[in-house]
Amino acid sequence: MDDMRKWRPLGIKNRYWVLLFIILGFIGARLYWPVLPHIQLPAERYSNTPLFTLPIIGPFYWTNTLTAVVIADIILLLIALAVRRAISSGKLVPSGIVGALEAILEGIFNLTETTAGRWTKAIFPFFATITLLVLVVNWMELIPGVDSIGFLEHSEHGYPREQLLPNVFTIVNEEVEHGAEEGQSGELFMVIPFVRVASTDLNFTVALALISVFMVQVIGYRALGGNYFTKFINVKGLFSRPIFGVIDFGVGFLELISEISKILSFSFRLFGNIFAGTVLLFVIGSLVPVFFQSMFLMLEFFVGIIQALVFGMLTMVFMAQATAGHGDHDEGHAH
Amino acid sequence: MDVEAAKLIGAGLAMIGTIGAGLGIGVLVNGAVQGIARNPDASGAVQTNMILGIAFAEAVAIYCLVVALLILFVG
Repeated sequence: MDDMRKWRPLGIKNRYWVLLFIILGFIGARLYWPVLPHIQLPAERYSNTPLFTLPIIGPFYWTNTLTAVVIADIILLLIALAVRRAISSGKLVPSGIVGALEAILEGIFNLTETTAGRWTKAIFPFFATITLLVLVVNWMELIPGVDSIGFLEHSEHGYPREQLLPNVFTIVNEEVEHGAEEGQSGELFMVIPFVRVASTDLNFTVALALISVFMVQVIGYRALGGNYFTKFINVKGLFSRPIFGVIDFGVGFLELISEISKILSFSFRLFGNIFAGTVLLFVIGSLVPVFFQSMFLMLEFFVGIIQALVFGMLTMVFMAQATAGHGDHDEGHAH
Repeated sequence: MDVEAAKLIGAGLAMIGTIGAGLGIGVLVNGAVQGIARNPDASGAVQTNMILGIAFAEAVAIYCLVVALLILFVG
């Protein structure tokens, strides 16, 4: 903590840095008034020629959200290497990012232990992996340049462009542009970002949700064996206890539906939160570009943490429920 | 009425569903805070379950949001 207080780049106090950036923000907003970007649900493709085509699934394109996932993976790998170096250096008290990671993982481990009991070792890796990946992916929306730097592409409802450097252009707001200049340039452009936050692509969230729900079934099978699937197709009491047997059978069917709805709610929860967050940042940035954006970045910071934790925690809780027996089984109280 | 206007109205109407989620989260946090106030030792477990419950209640609001976004930005 003491190091943080003394941290004073170029000998300027932090509050004056903040003031400097606010003034720079004013100047920047006067020069180039921010543009509301074109908001589009599916991820943008880098090129319209597919990388390769799979027989049944269809063509495969490299999209900008895929780049974001690759970058997030690289960040996680670098963190893993840093942890490895910190462990092999022999220091008992980790510092910096390794210390932060240790705190996060310890919290996650304790949470898993209180819920999952003796299945902690099987469940913890999924919880930690999903949480860390989603956290890194969500926080990428806070980095300047993500969602805003990219190719220019012709578009009907775009904006005119202006040259800054050779081969470097910026799109400018129509209202600032004068009518005469607009008539000269004529062409309208929109930005196809190089990197777009991966959680704003349904493919990413659906893939995570499918992995999560599938592994819930696998862990349930590991814990209870074949008995696990009697949760879904419950024919045990169908003939011995006619009325309640039929009710149990119906409940099993409902369980099957609830597993499917888990996939839906997992994927749409993450997607909806983060996509709404990026749209919020776009709109606020184009309306009040200077000061308010920072507050909403703070909000999105917390939304990123909470959604990552919720995704991981729900996976963990579903897995813990799957390991605990159900109904009239004697393993009902596993912990 | 042209299609654009109908789309905007539809997106607004879709977001009405968030009333339920808001009420639900309010009731949930009310219960959790009362529980923590009566038994501060249990705050860890109560908080975990509260966040889970909020996630479930919020999911409904997120469905509304997704529907609204689909209406606005798709097709």
